[in-house]
Amino acid sequence: MARTSSTSHGETAVLGKGTNLRGRIAGDGDLRVEGTISGDVALKGHLTVDGGAEITADVQARSVVVEGAIEGDISAQEAVAIRAGARVSGAIRGASISIEEGATVNGRIDADFELPPELGGKGGR
Amino acid sequence: MANTVISQGITIEGELTTDDDVVIEGTLRGKLVSKDTVKVETGAVIEADITASSLSVGGQITGNVTASDRVDLMPGARLIGDVKASRLTIADGASFKGNVDMDV
Repeated sequence: MARTSSTSHGETAVLGKGTNLRGRIAGDGDLRVEGTISGDVALKGHLTVDGGAEITADVQARSVVVEGAIEGDISAQEAVAIRAGARVSGAIRGASISIEEGATVNGRIDADFELPPELGGKGGR
Repeated sequence: MANTVISQGITIEGELTTDDDVVIEGTLRGKLVSKDTVKVETGAVIEADITASSLSVGGQITGNVTASDRVDLMPGARLIGDVKASRLTIADGASFKGNVDMDV
């Protein structure tokens, strides 16, 4: 039988250009989206949303690179990169967030970092 | 390489519609419609109806399959469901339970 040596870096799953998913996708590996998804995405690996791709749902992954469009919240344990030409409407949450010039972002940005105390890191409201 | 690959460890629940060819190594529940070829690899688990131009199966499918061209069940394949295709091959070592409609 095929042994499943599950390194967390399995091969990348791909939803190609002409592909449309209505439903949820989840998994351990990486995913590249070139088509459209309306449904939640929850990955333990990296998510790449290519230019031309469209996701209408919340996405969760270790790290996210967006070149296409996402309408929904993005949440990553590691980095979120919004590239030029991308369109995002929804909250973005990640350990580090970068937005390139030419990207359109509508929503809250929530980066995980500790403010130094003199900037009111523990101050709260 | 296929245009759409559902690799091992990936689970899809829902309806996947595509113009491209599809390779499935992971899990799919719901429905799959492709205008091109669909390949269900060994280890893949499908609980879905599949429509494709041609379908080759090495993994497990529970659901009805329809192919405009052909369906090939490879050794080790397991299909529970009906097949509608003008051509069907069942290899030695494949298991299959269901009806065949070759639409003569």
